[in-house]
Order: sequence, then structure tokens, then C-alpha cells
Amino acid sequence: MGGRGGRGGGRKPRSFATFRLFPRSGAADPNDRVFVRVDNNDYTVPGFADEDSFDASLCDPSADGGDLHSASGPLPEHVRREILELGLPDDGYNYLSHLRELRPSAAAAASSFVPSATARPEPLPLDVKAYDASKVRVAPSEGELDEGRAMCKVAAKTAPVRRIEKAVDPDVARLLDESDVSHGGSEDDVLEEDFVIIANRAEGDELVEEDDGEEEEEGNGVFSDADEEFDFEEDDPKPRVRRLLDEQFDLLALEEYGDSDNDVEVVKSGEYELPSEVIDELKLFHNQNVCVDEEYRTPADFVRRKLDSSTADEVDESAHVIKKCAEYAERYLNDTVEEEVVLVSESSDESEVWDCETIVSTFSNLDNHPGKIETPGNIKKRLPKVFPGETATTNDIIKLHGKEKLPVEYLPQRKRGGEKEKKGKPAEALNADKFKKGAEKETKEEKKARKAAVKEEKREARKAKKELKGLYKSETQKAQKVAAVTGPSSIRLM
Amino acid sequence: MAAVYGGLKGKLGVEDAPELQLNRIRITLSSKNVKNLEKVCADLVKGAKEKQLRVKGPVRIPTKVLHITTRKSPCGEGTNTWDRFEFRIHKRVIDLISSPDVVKQITSITIEPGVEVEVTIADV
Repeated sequence: MGGRGGRGGGRKPRSFATFRLFPRSGAADPNDRVFVRVDNNDYTVPGFADEDSFDASLCDPSADGGDLHSASGPLPEHVRREILELGLPDDGYNYLSHLRELRPSAAAAASSFVPSATARPEPLPLDVKAYDASKVRVAPSEGELDEGRAMCKVAAKTAPVRRIEKAVDPDVARLLDESDVSHGGSEDDVLEEDFVIIANRAEGDELVEEDDGEEEEEGNGVFSDADEEFDFEEDDPKPRVRRLLDEQFDLLALEEYGDSDNDVEVVKSGEYELPSEVIDELKLFHNQNVCVDEEYRTPADFVRRKLDSSTADEVDESAHVIKKCAEYAERYLNDTVEEEVVLVSESSDESEVWDCETIVSTFSNLDNHPGKIETPGNIKKRLPKVFPGETATTNDIIKLHGKEKLPVEYLPQRKRGGEKEKKGKPAEALNADKFKKGAEKETKEEKKARKAAVKEEKREARKAKKELKGLYKSETQKAQKVAAVTGPSSIRLM
Repeated sequence: MAAVYGGLKGKLGVEDAPELQLNRIRITLSSKNVKNLEKVCADLVKGAKEKQLRVKGPVRIPTKVLHITTRKSPCGEGTNTWDRFEFRIHKRVIDLISSPDVVKQITSITIEPGVEVEVTIADV
């Protein structure tokens, strides 16, 4: 103890060294770590600590360092060479210390260049034509190579690169082709500047390229549809042959939606004439005489009673029926126009007041007596029976209840408990009549006083509530914390 | 103990040119990740045992848990729900008695990302 006390500061001699693994500065790989001393004791461990540029800043410049101490003389040759290679000036400063290793790692993936998979090739200038020769197989050198044959072989396998030339719009493609052939239309554009020509050409290419690359198929579809539509419109609006149905429709439309005069004329002028085809069809049956018996008969009946009537009769009958139908239809059409049935809706009287319940329950209004909707509740109930300003109060003592010492009786009461009622009743009995009379013959001052009293109460109530809230805020906070984490999220205490 | 070691030194003599200067070495490993940490510990101990060093097995210091309780909501609106985040730091201590070079070797081999290594060297 005495010995220890004698030493400086009463501390034990610190004969240890602490080293920590740090990632090497500027290293891409985080696993590339070196030991660095992190304490300042005198104890030295030879050969443990790695000399590092990181360390250089911490230790004395006079200490023995590695190669990288710029303070000690010129830089070593290899360092200088590297600096020069990088294009940095050779002025004795070690610029390599500022360099960072670039090694693609997961973290540094964003900074590395990855060529896109959907890269589009550069657009060819117009005087160059590209051919895809990937399918050409270079045969091993035979003795004699017929040039012509070789050329044919090569030509057969190579396919022109179509992708760049393909255009969505035929006009643009045509233009491009023309320009391709005529080599830029140099005769016309002699007067224009070079860059203007190039710019114009470039625009055309770009448009084509854009449509090409992004939405080639889509673009095709859209444009082709548009073309079709245009073509369609240009042609005859009624490409198909007029049918029986079309004529019928037209006539019907005319009749129903035409002017009333026209309508009348058509009707009065003559019979509604069926189209010729219809008449032709019907004529087959028209000739056959079908007798309609008293009783209704279906064709099945005829089948069963073969003996009674022949098949001809069957057909005759059905034809007759059809004829009759036509006649009826004509008659109906002609007759109904003359006889106009006017439907007048009776105006509902006030006596016939139906409510939903009556309609739905199908009882009459006599059975159901829907009540009148009245204004809900009495405002008077909200106010206490005993006002603070009342002079005729029986009890002069204002009773304070609860933890917060509030004059409970003077607060607006939602539910009057039995206790309060008992207290309030004698006062009530006294004040009831007075109150009622007061409501009738209330003067301005009384009204004002009443309203002021109400306001005062409300203010007091609000203050009390706020106080109460503040009193237990910390408790509610704690409770909320617990409730929020453990309980359902719908609990809200604050 | 020192005597024993001194004796050993004497016996080995010329064969062991590099000094077998033994120190007490304490390796403190800390990490957020238990799995990696345990792996590194195991490797270290195994390595040390292979080299016939005296190892005092990984002492597990109680994990430190840092709690962060924050409101879930970025604004003050809504039910007051809270997030409870925690951040666990595990620590292991391994004691060896060996020369520093050996330790350096061992430590450089067993490298795992996210594990912090601190080596304290003292006299025997």
C-alpha cells in the first residue's frame, strides 16, 4: 500500500499495450485490417503493431516509420514512379495516400460501371450499310478458292442488319430510303450549312430509333390500327349490301321518329306495305286455305288426329293463322292511331300522405300512425336547477365533491344520480314554477344573466377538465406507453 | 511459472532463434452478431490449441442491450404507438499466454466482418 501510494498519482504501472483491429484506410476490402495501438502507455511490444499511414498521424514524426513517411527525405523510387504514372506531379508529396482501392464489392456495386443488357447499337451513318455475318462459317482454306463461289457463300449467309433501318411509319421509311440512295441530297442542300443538314437527318433517325427501340411491336399495332381506321372511313360508309332488315328499320325509324304530319299521311294514305320479300314469303302460305276451328288446336293435335285432317289442312291452317295475324296487326296499327288513350296521373292530395313504413309494410295510414319528428331533448335539462346567481337558494353552502373539489351541483349534469336528485328536489319544487314563469316573461336582463351564468359554468368546467388532465398527464403517458405496446391499437388514453 | 518458462527457454536454446517472449494476451471480441462472434471465438481457440498455447476459454460477458423506444408516427397524429428497437452487443474475452507474433498470425487468419477485435498485451 505504501509502495503504491508513493507512485505518481496512486496508479498502478500500466505495463500493457492495447491494439485494435482497424480496417486499412483506403482499402476496398473491409476484411483487410491492421492492428493499431489505441493506448498511450510506455510499454512497447516489438513486432506487433503494424506501421501504417493511419498511425503516422498519431505518432511523432521523428519515430521510425515505414516507407510512407514523407517528412523523412525524398520518396522511394517505386512510389515516385507510381505517382508519375498516374499523372500527378512529382513534388515530393505522396499523393498515393489519397488514393482509394477500387475493388467491386457488394457495397460498391453502385459505383461500378455495368453495361446495360438492353444497349442499343449506334445508329449507322447513312452511307454505311451493316451486314450480320455471324452465320458465316469460314471454311478451312482449300487449295483453290474460287472467288466468285466464296463470295456467293458469304453473301448467302450474311443477312443485312435490318434493325436499324426498320421504320414504323412507311413515309419516314421511304424518306430514309430515298436519302440513303441519293447520298444526302447534296444537290438540294448545297446552299444549306452542314450542321443543318446533319441535324435534320439526325432528327429523322432519332424519331425512328425511339419508336424502334422502345415500343416496336406496340407502335406497329397502334399505327396499323390507325391506318385501318382511316381506310375504313375513306371507303363507302355502307360497305355491305342493304338487307331486308335495313329497309324495315328505316321505315320503322321514319314512322316512329318522323314528323307527326308525315306519320298521319303514311297511315291514311294506304295500308302499311310490307317489303316485297316478306310478301313473297308469306304468299306461299297465303294461297293455302287454313280453316280455323272454334277450338284451339296445336299442330300436335293434328298429328294425333291424322285421320281427321290431312297434312295439307295442317299447313293450310297454319298459313291461315299467319294471314289472320297479319290482318290483326294491320288493324291494330290502323285502329290504335285513331284511338288515343290518354293516361292522366292523378295528382296526389295532401290527404294521401304516405310514409315509407306504410308503403313497405303495406298497411294503410290508418293503421300506422307515424309520429311527428320532434326536436330531441330539452335544453333545459342541461342546465342545473340551481343557478349560482339565485338569491332564493335554500342552501348557502356550496358543496365540493370529488378529488378535484368541484362544485358538482353547479356543473352541467348529464345524469342526475339519486343523491343529487334528492338534494335538488326541494329546490326544484320551489324553482320549477318560478323557472317556467321566468321563461315566459323573461326580460332582456334576465336572459342575459342566464346566458352569462351558462357561459361561466362552461368555462369552469373546461378549466376543471384541463386541470384534471394535467394532474394525471404523466400517469396517462405511462399507461399509454404500455397500452400502445401491449394492447390493441385502438386504445387511446391521451 | 516464470522459472519454468525460463527453463524451457534455456533448453530450446539455439534452435529457437526468435525469442519466445511470452506475454499475457487478452483478446476482446465484440460484435452485434452472435453467430459470427462465436465462430471467430471458436476459430481463435482452436488455433491457439493447435499451437499448444495456454488458452482460457471464451468468457462471455453479459450482452449489453441498448433500447431505443420511438414513436412510430412521423407526426404527432394517431394512436400513440411506439417502436421498441434494441441493439445487442456481445462480448467475449479470450486469454492466451504466447508470443505476440503467434497471436498476430492467428488473428489475421480468422477474420469475420462485423467483429471487433482488441488485443491487450501485458507482461507475464
